[in-house]
Amino acid sequence: MALRVFGLNLVKTNRSVLQNVCKTGATPTQQTVAPYATEVTVQASPAAVQKQKVSKAMKAYLKRANEHDEFMKTQHLEFQIGKRHLANMMGADPETFTQQDIDEAIEYLFPSGLFDKKARPAMKSPDEVFPARKAAEFDETGRPFHSMFYTGNPNFFQLLHDIVQETNKIHELEERLLRRGNTPDENQKLDTTGFQLMPKDQLELLLVESIADIEYSNFVNSMERLIALPYAYKSKEFIERFLKPLMDQSKQLEIPKPRIDEQGRQYITTYECLRKTARADVTVRMPGTGKISINGQDIFYFPEEKCREQLLFPLQFSQMLGKVDIEANVEGGGPSGQSGAIRWGIAMSLRSFVDQEMIESMRLAGLLTRDYRIRERKKFGQEGARRKYTWKKR
Amino acid sequence: MSWSKNISINTWRCGRLMSMYPQHYVDPIYKMEDQCSKRTELLRLSHIPIKGALNNSSDTIFNGEIKQKMVNYITKNGEGFLSRKLMAQTLEMIKRTQLEGSYISPGYNKTETDAESLLIQAVENCRPLLQLSSIKRGGVKYHVPIPLTNKKSYFLAMKWLLDASREKDRKVSLPEKLAWEILDAAHGHGRVIKKKEELSRQCESNRAYAHYRWS
Amino acid sequence: MFRRQVASLSRLQHLQMSTNAAPAPTSTSASSGEAISEFRTAVTNPGEHSSLHVAKFYTIPVEQKKKIFGGGGLPKQYEQQIKTFQEACLMVRSPALELLHYIQNADLSKPAVRYVVYGANGVGKTLTMAHVLHYGSLNDFMLVHVPWVPNWMKRPKEAANSSTQEGFIDLPFDAAAWLVHFKTQNLKLLQQLDLKTSKEYVWSKRESTPAGSTLLELVEHGIARIKYASETTAALISEIKQLSNAGKCKTMVVIDGFNAFFHPETRIFSENKQRVTPDRITLTQPFLDITSYDWTNGICILSVDKIAMTEGYMASHMPRYLLGKEGFEHLDPFIPVHVENYTEKEFYNYISYYLDRRWINKTPPGFEEQLKFMSNKNPYELMQLVKSL
Repeated sequence: MALRVFGLNLVKTNRSVLQNVCKTGATPTQQTVAPYATEVTVQASPAAVQKQKVSKAMKAYLKRANEHDEFMKTQHLEFQIGKRHLANMMGADPETFTQQDIDEAIEYLFPSGLFDKKARPAMKSPDEVFPARKAAEFDETGRPFHSMFYTGNPNFFQLLHDIVQETNKIHELEERLLRRGNTPDENQKLDTTGFQLMPKDQLELLLVESIADIEYSNFVNSMERLIALPYAYKSKEFIERFLKPLMDQSKQLEIPKPRIDEQGRQYITTYECLRKTARADVTVRMPGTGKISINGQDIFYFPEEKCREQLLFPLQFSQMLGKVDIEANVEGGGPSGQSGAIRWGIAMSLRSFVDQEMIESMRLAGLLTRDYRIRERKKFGQEGARRKYTWKKR
Repeated sequence: MSWSKNISINTWRCGRLMSMYPQHYVDPIYKMEDQCSKRTELLRLSHIPIKGALNNSSDTIFNGEIKQKMVNYITKNGEGFLSRKLMAQTLEMIKRTQLEGSYISPGYNKTETDAESLLIQAVENCRPLLQLSSIKRGGVKYHVPIPLTNKKSYFLAMKWLLDASREKDRKVSLPEKLAWEILDAAHGHGRVIKKKEELSRQCESNRAYAHYRWS
Repeated sequence: MFRRQVASLSRLQHLQMSTNAAPAPTSTSASSGEAISEFRTAVTNPGEHSSLHVAKFYTIPVEQKKKIFGGGGLPKQYEQQIKTFQEACLMVRSPALELLHYIQNADLSKPAVRYVVYGANGVGKTLTMAHVLHYGSLNDFMLVHVPWVPNWMKRPKEAANSSTQEGFIDLPFDAAAWLVHFKTQNLKLLQQLDLKTSKEYVWSKRESTPAGSTLLELVEHGIARIKYASETTAALISEIKQLSNAGKCKTMVVIDGFNAFFHPETRIFSENKQRVTPDRITLTQPFLDITSYDWTNGICILSVDKIAMTEGYMASHMPRYLLGKEGFEHLDPFIPVHVENYTEKEFYNYISYYLDRRWINKTPPGFEEQLKFMSNKNPYELMQLVKSL
């Protein structure tokens, strides 16, 4: 409870700073969602703490907190100035200059050829750049607030405790209901398809603690145990805090609308169909008779049966054989890569002409996945990519 | 659990991952029939990314699972096109021997002419159940019969068929010999079947040692 | 153990099959005589084929097939198919009908007409010619048939220097083989008709064929004395030409891969280790003679083929390209006959023929469409694809 008070004080004294934080929208979601963060994630300067008996640790902490606070203040100021400068340079209104505008301006003013996106120049709010720190976890006398302080990760272990508590609660409930002869409601059963447990990095952000892989797997296991319970829907709220919705894979990519050519037929052109070192562009025309032309030749551009079978696969699978015409231009690579590239192009183009269910089927058949496996390089000191030279003692 | 695979996306990896695909990618289901038969399971898959379809498999009449595996085992030095041709010749040879003289013979409709189903039958007939592996206990090596996994037993069956057909004169072509071996095995006799029976007999005689597998 | 039992069960089934098979009624073989399937025709005489029979199969009787195509004339793979299916079936296709129509209406008293069959790889040029050849054989044509010219230019059995013509090359074994082929094809005609040689041929000091001896004797001499086979061939062909001119017989010249005669080079080496051009081979000249227009009572059916050429000369399948300037001028004017891929109807009939012969075993719905896409309705490719199904 002491911490709560402590936090309130802080809110009073540093209201302006907090407001700033809220305006930039740095971490408001975290504060509302997770209790762990509200208790601890604060840039604190407990000015109110002015008692006599102050431990050494508390002193050191207060000093650090003050320094950090000052530092953040100047950083915020600099960021605001920088933003204004940028806005002026771009000829925009500094008041309504958003983070997206900043990113665009930076990309325009400092073009960078660096491959890694993290290595390119960037300008972000200091709240994003400097991670949030924990507030004091102990009182003036040096006594920790949290009983699990000495585990090093009190929030994480608290979370594990909470999960087990929930589990136990449900167990008890189940026993009670069983005695009364009740069975779990099948309709309310917790369905987690389409959801994913919070990934490790997000959990770390939530807890403001860095956790090890094995600890994360402990979390996963105990969560799974909880979810698997028949009465798991009783603690739905608790579980849902740690679930993240998954995107439907086949709906992720936008399906292009077919265009109309001069003969009044619908057509779709897919550019940049890549496989191995081959590159193709494929045009599929909708009312057709099953003609195919590859670089101006018929299907015997591929003398090998295997390659022709590859072209047949998406057409046969989507039952569009004989209903579309195909033109393809392909270059680079060998027959296998070229036919693979065209196959992918045909499958991607066909999405515009079939229904959603078929698209999902085609995705499950692996037709819509870009196959980006390529030849593995040879390594020095080895005979090939993996094979070593025959070992000889001397 | 539905996400248990998904979790490892950006968390950790067990051992070294050689595949170009991230670990949570799932193998594709090629055949439309297979997809239709496991509808419920597919709902789960709708959130999981799928690996790209391999270039040697498809949902057409030209593709068969066992046939494909056999082609892969025939391949030497990465000459896949050649091995596919050899497999086609083998099937053709089987079909010719089955068909020849069958038009006038009374059993016209009875002889099996589907070469691929004959191949499958042959492989099924050649599959071993147990294998002998030598385990050292107290300084003495024992031949201990151990059960085989499905995959391994299919592999052994096809390997034996191939080994038997590679043992031949230079003049005889591989498709010819392989066709004969397959026909023999499909009808339940021939060298490969004998080999399999030999192995199962040995396993039978060594069954006293079976407990060494776990003790 | 369980699987072993299954295996033994399946073996049992096989046994049962073979035992059950004996009393089973011979349904299909019996019915094939009476009820004729949609894709077959009972008309076995090519002369009676009309557009009614397009895309239908007719059967060549065994003895006729042996007589006409015994020494070649059908593609090797087609021969194999015939052997497996136990019947020599040919599909009636429009290029062959076109040719037959021309031949039936031709005025034989006019100079010989040359027909050039051309088309892409594997479209059925040779089988078209086989169809016409069958017609010729049934209609008392003297057949001068060369199954595949490139065999002489690319892989001769033996090459020897000619004894009569300086700097020329003889192919004695190939010439003798051709004479045997000629004899089997025309044995009946040679015996029936009164064909006599016009002059005396002196082979050596001791051997000669006197004027007035029959052509059969000439041929048999060539077969017996392989050394003189090439010259015998030349003599025979000039005799046939003269006899045709005189109206004693009518002649059908069928040469497959004719453009090999005009190929820039052959695989035969001369004495000074240089490649010989086709015109230095003694067999070339007589066949060029008989394909010229200066004789009557004759028909020439020639095919030009891409695969008769060698690497680097295979850019196009058009006659002008394949024959070259010289060959084109030699044949000009000629009637071109274009052979194309199967039409829709022909394609489906072929599929049902294969199904009838139980050659295709995988028949999920839409398999024809798959085959059509993969083969592009090309006859040869279809044959290849279907082999492993």
